[in-house]
Amino acid sequence: MASWRERLTDRMPVDLAREIDVYEGQIELKKHAKIEDKLFGEARLRRGAYGQRYDNGQRHDGITHRSLPFPTQATKGTETTWDAPGMQRIKIPFGGLNPNQMDVLADVAEEYSDAICHITTRQDVQLHYVHIEDTPDLMRRLASVGITTREACGNSVRNVTACSLAGVCRCEAFDTTPYAKAMAYHLLGHPDTQDMGRKFKVAFSGCKTSSCGLTNIHDLGFLAKTWQSNGTTRRGFEVVIGGGLGAVPYDAKLFDATVPEEEILPLAQAVCRVFARLGEKRNRGRARLKFLVEKLGFDEFRRLVLEERKVLPSDPRWTDYLKDVERYHEGPSKASASLDEAKLDPAFQAWRATNVYAQRQPGYVVATVTLPLGDLTSWQLRQLADVARKYVGDCVRTTVEQNLVLRWVSEADLPALYGELQRLDLALGGAGKIEDVVACPGTDTCKLGIAASRGLAAVLHESLVERQNNGGIDPAVRDLHIKMSGCFNSCGQHHLADIGFYGVSRKIGGATVPHFRVLMGGEWENNGATYGLTIGAVPSKRIPEFIDHVTQRYLSGRQPGERFKDYCARIGKKALKEMVDAYSAVPPYALDRTLYSDWRDPREFTISDITTGECAGEVVPQVEFDLQAAEQRNFEAQVHLEQNEFQKADETAYHSMLIAARGLVRTQLWDLSEDPERIVSEFKTRFYDTQLFQSPDAGQYAGGKFALYLLNRHADKNRAFSAEKARHLVEEAQLFIEAAYGYYQRMSEQQAQAKALSKASFGVAAPADAEATT
Amino acid sequence: MDLHKFGIKFFAAGAERIDILKLIPIYHRWIQQSALEGLLIDVADYSHVPAGPGVMLIAHEGNYALDETGHERGVVYYSKHRLEGELSERLAHVARKALQAAELMRGDTELEGALKLPGNRLQFFANDRLVAPNTEVAYAAIEPALKVFLDRLYAGARYTCVHEPDSKERLAVRVQADGEVALPTLIARLT
Repeated sequence: MASWRERLTDRMPVDLAREIDVYEGQIELKKHAKIEDKLFGEARLRRGAYGQRYDNGQRHDGITHRSLPFPTQATKGTETTWDAPGMQRIKIPFGGLNPNQMDVLADVAEEYSDAICHITTRQDVQLHYVHIEDTPDLMRRLASVGITTREACGNSVRNVTACSLAGVCRCEAFDTTPYAKAMAYHLLGHPDTQDMGRKFKVAFSGCKTSSCGLTNIHDLGFLAKTWQSNGTTRRGFEVVIGGGLGAVPYDAKLFDATVPEEEILPLAQAVCRVFARLGEKRNRGRARLKFLVEKLGFDEFRRLVLEERKVLPSDPRWTDYLKDVERYHEGPSKASASLDEAKLDPAFQAWRATNVYAQRQPGYVVATVTLPLGDLTSWQLRQLADVARKYVGDCVRTTVEQNLVLRWVSEADLPALYGELQRLDLALGGAGKIEDVVACPGTDTCKLGIAASRGLAAVLHESLVERQNNGGIDPAVRDLHIKMSGCFNSCGQHHLADIGFYGVSRKIGGATVPHFRVLMGGEWENNGATYGLTIGAVPSKRIPEFIDHVTQRYLSGRQPGERFKDYCARIGKKALKEMVDAYSAVPPYALDRTLYSDWRDPREFTISDITTGECAGEVVPQVEFDLQAAEQRNFEAQVHLEQNEFQKADETAYHSMLIAARGLVRTQLWDLSEDPERIVSEFKTRFYDTQLFQSPDAGQYAGGKFALYLLNRHADKNRAFSAEKARHLVEEAQLFIEAAYGYYQRMSEQQAQAKALSKASFGVAAPADAEATT
Repeated sequence: MDLHKFGIKFFAAGAERIDILKLIPIYHRWIQQSALEGLLIDVADYSHVPAGPGVMLIAHEGNYALDETGHERGVVYYSKHRLEGELSERLAHVARKALQAAELMRGDTELEGALKLPGNRLQFFANDRLVAPNTEVAYAAIEPALKVFLDRLYAGARYTCVHEPDSKERLAVRVQADGEVALPTLIARLT
């Protein structure tokens, strides 16, 4: 029986297939303890294979802390047990999905996860409870439909997001979809993005006023705009930079009001290079771009980026993609027809009022599929793929509000579409309304979660839906947004909500009580322009009644037409604090234990299950990845040798030395190309001639001979391949790679000693980890 | 057939009356008490997803749930890792685990006797489209082992198997046996 690898060979992009093979090779090496935890951990994160709660093999069961005796003692990262289930994040650039991709996502969720697909606030898909050894095949199946998980986690450029209405929006300057796509694939695996100290998030918005792009909270945001130049309409972007949520949210700052479309890719590259070069690498809490901008000062940061832009080696892809922009077209699969308004039932009308958006193209609408907590089953997703095939073709997107949208629905098809969604239990209304509560995974699965954001979100969602169904919620209240995160890291984007929450804990009489800190008055509109003010903390179990109270007060106290944000600003923080304080009391444990456990988790509350998050990943210098790749390549050479493929073995071993040499050279010369002549020449000048490569303890036996293995092989242009030569070269390549490791280790130790010496001399204290950020 | 990842769901009768959220504390208690064999890890609440996996008990070897797929509640267990023995033995192993969970659930005072499991209706599903795609060929390959297992489970009673043909869905077979059988009896036959 063929494996997935064999079966899908012809359907996977060659490069992606090879990357997954390499990743599978790394898994094998790790199983045999041939890669260190730190390196494997970051390598796995860069393929989107993330840790999950209790993966350190410890769990508090409500009574006591227990070890989880997994079958093996092996690890897959620092303090991460090999057999512990993990999370697989799947990048969906700009949220774009087609039915074939939906089918495969559904299948892999069913076979490797728990038959649930979770849509995230950054338009990704996440699967939970995935075993590490299933991930290569999972990735192959996704690759066969054009989806990569590469750089979904780790210190890399994360999913590039964009408005889910891009291309059909009534207020956008132009469709940002092809630009977001170009950006996503240009930065994916780009050498300039491989050595960053932290993650980097990019978003595109078609306009300034709506919320869907959320450029204000991103490291790099692009807002579409057009202008006239010499009588023609030019396209470009207003570029904002250094935004981000986390414990202390930062607004993105205007970098340039008008960046022409041909400049966006090099500009992004220049930003990444400055970030990689100067960004914090040790203190994870200060490593995001926003802190670098703050540290350098915006003007200096901007100057450095523009300087970097000037020296950037030119790349034809910067403008080649514009041809794709011209060619890009998304359109309907059915002709438009108007709806017969005479025969519509009230349930349909109610759904239509909240879940249907009239496109700027007459006769077409976008239908939102509301997903409670961002979840749907594999069966629903597969069925929805068929519904999409029938009504909209490839025009499906995920949204940052954890929903799905079907675009280009012919208006006349709406009742039939609604009927299909009812059959799938996906015809829930209230998209973007108060009951459409957004939540990150929180303590359900996140290692950093403090409180049960999903538990609370589920309770609020259900009670608000019930309220709407029984008499209705006042429209002014129904327009509010509620968002929550399980901790201060803001994955639930709580700062942007009218009423936001993030999980905290409080000690009451020696016991720990789950609380949520309340933020009020955030703004979802205008790309998330205003962050809510933190007011105080409310016990988790009292939040539903607190919401009732706040919304009642708003209804009775608001001025005509006054938005919640403005109401909050008018009544002031003191009055808001009084509302919060009215619900902050916790009865003693002996009187009422209810508040001492969290929503939908009866265990007595504890924060002892929180462990180190992998959100930040380990900072692994690029050279370590290169050396590991070299080792992997030489392993492949050994396989060729074993199969009597001597020439292949010889060439592969030579290539492995080139990878290692290039890795070392790039510690000094970042822009080194992959040209063997250039690699060897630079290596010779920088490491052989200077004797840096010679191990001091190799003494008389080695001298410079390990370096000569590469130099001699490279000079042997008319090589006569033979089994013996190949065998020797494979051995020599291994020694060369070992020597490269040896040099890198010496260099690292010397740098560490120099730093320690400098601190001792000047009394500089090591910075403390102050903050974690999303 | 070298199938290891598959599940068996024993359908319940009248289980729609059960408040599925009651399973959350039950599962947590089972973890505390190591009430089922294997490594019980955590509880996953998907009660907000209609016709989904409901509330799941996640174990290392496989997952348990009072599953709601297709709006038909039933106790399911599916394996996630390699199992030992012939396929018919593996089927017996997975069925026994589902039945043990079902019996424990059925007797739990929190559910106040609301869970009825007649024991004579089940669904087998392969959770591995590589090894067992939903085709007639794959069904034919699995049928002999399935028969061996069902003969053992129903101890000579008549039963019918219906292959569910939707090729997009997993290979699944619905089984209906004559007459109800108590869960302890079924467990004993598979032990």
